[in-house]
Amino acid sequence: MNLSIFGLGSIYVEWLLWGFAVTLILSAATCVAATLGGLAVCAARISRLRLLNVPARLYLSLFRNTPLLVQIFFWYFAGSSVFPTPLLDWFNNPHTVTLAFAGTTWLSFKLPSFEFWAGFTALTFYTSAFIAEEFRSGLRAVPPGQQEGGLSLGLPSGLIFILIIVPQAARHAFAPLLGQYMNAIKNSSLTMAIGVAELSYASRQVETETFQTFEAFGIATILYIVAVAALEGIGELVQRRRDKKYGRGALS
Amino acid sequence: MNFDVVWNNLPYLLWGAYPYGPIGGAALTIWLSLLSGLASAVIGLVLGVWLFMSRGIVHAGLVLFLGFFRAIPVLMLIFWTYFLLPVVLGFSVPELTTVVCALALIGGAYLAHGVAAGLRSVGEGQWEAGISLGLGRWRVLRLVILPQSLRRMAPSFVNQWVALIKDTSLAYVIGVPELSFVATQVNNRAMVYPAEIFLFVAAVYFVICGALDLAASAIAGKDDSDGRRAAA
Repeated sequence: MNLSIFGLGSIYVEWLLWGFAVTLILSAATCVAATLGGLAVCAARISRLRLLNVPARLYLSLFRNTPLLVQIFFWYFAGSSVFPTPLLDWFNNPHTVTLAFAGTTWLSFKLPSFEFWAGFTALTFYTSAFIAEEFRSGLRAVPPGQQEGGLSLGLPSGLIFILIIVPQAARHAFAPLLGQYMNAIKNSSLTMAIGVAELSYASRQVETETFQTFEAFGIATILYIVAVAALEGIGELVQRRRDKKYGRGALS
Repeated sequence: MNFDVVWNNLPYLLWGAYPYGPIGGAALTIWLSLLSGLASAVIGLVLGVWLFMSRGIVHAGLVLFLGFFRAIPVLMLIFWTYFLLPVVLGFSVPELTTVVCALALIGGAYLAHGVAAGLRSVGEGQWEAGISLGLGRWRVLRLVILPQSLRRMAPSFVNQWVALIKDTSLAYVIGVPELSFVATQVNNRAMVYPAEIFLFVAAVYFVICGALDLAASAIAGKDDSDGRRAAA
């Protein structure tokens, strides 16, 4: 198949598309893990137990106030002394996942290298901190009257939290959460510094190989914009459906 | 934990080869942050005011322009300025300048929306009062609206500057010897104790960001917490 575009050779476009695929996989994995991580950190942060909220505060301020690049270097270079040995062995050895059924191989792919896992770990810890704070501001955006309303109905505070506060907070936090997902896509570019072959890395490689600077960076830039705009579009769609359901501006 | 490697390289990590060579390390990180912070504030204010005052096609164009800078990774923009700035200008541009340009543009694009939101938050009555005094639109903006809204914008400026300090680490990719770059140099030379080196570097960034945050909340005083919520 000839993928040649903007005068850039087919093989180089293929490199860029592979890079884009790695960017998408890395950021999707990060978003899933960091949403769960963010929930856990947010829960710890709002807990009244000092044993939970003090470490959470420390985590938030440390991971939000240091550069992602330094965190990536930390996990990459110091990973061997931080990760538990079995995990490290697993990261360092190549794995092939094969889905076979009735003697036929349906799908077979190699699991990524140590660089990928170090980058994924760094991105997840970093993004979790930001997502946790988005969840917390979502919770704070629910007016105190809602809590009081629940109490006056005689509901226990646990139920008020789950049935009344969380559903409203989730709606407040949705748009900022998408914003953090967009950041995760953009931030995944930093993993090129440790050799993860994602989109920025690929664009740099194509540029070195062809000297077609403008084309290489142009295509990479467009691909980033496409990914971010797609998320933006999803947000818009969800918002519109919500407006239809609850009436315009019901929650602004 | 053995921090000897950090102590042995401490001057190099903090100010690079200075005074025998160019300044580097943490000192360069601070210098980069100051330059790009200042430039981003100017760009953010100008574009933010323009975003607020413009209508129709100009406004739409501006939103698109800002959207572009907000949608691409900082790293990508550094590549663009690094390779394109010399082509456009016709002479070679120092790496430091390209990084400051890229960071100022990104920071300015994010700040512009904060500035426009701050301007919008001032009540309509203030505008009407200004105009009824016989002032023109721009004079109302300068004399009545901006002084009131600058306070409300302060938290978004601080947040953006913290992000900028962290983003100066990306100068690493084009070989500017700031803190992250010298850290990898020290790490590659020593080959041992990477955890100690990067923990120390993270601590230095943490102190710089934390100092800015503390200074900002000291200046803003007690209404800082409200401002933060309004900005979120």
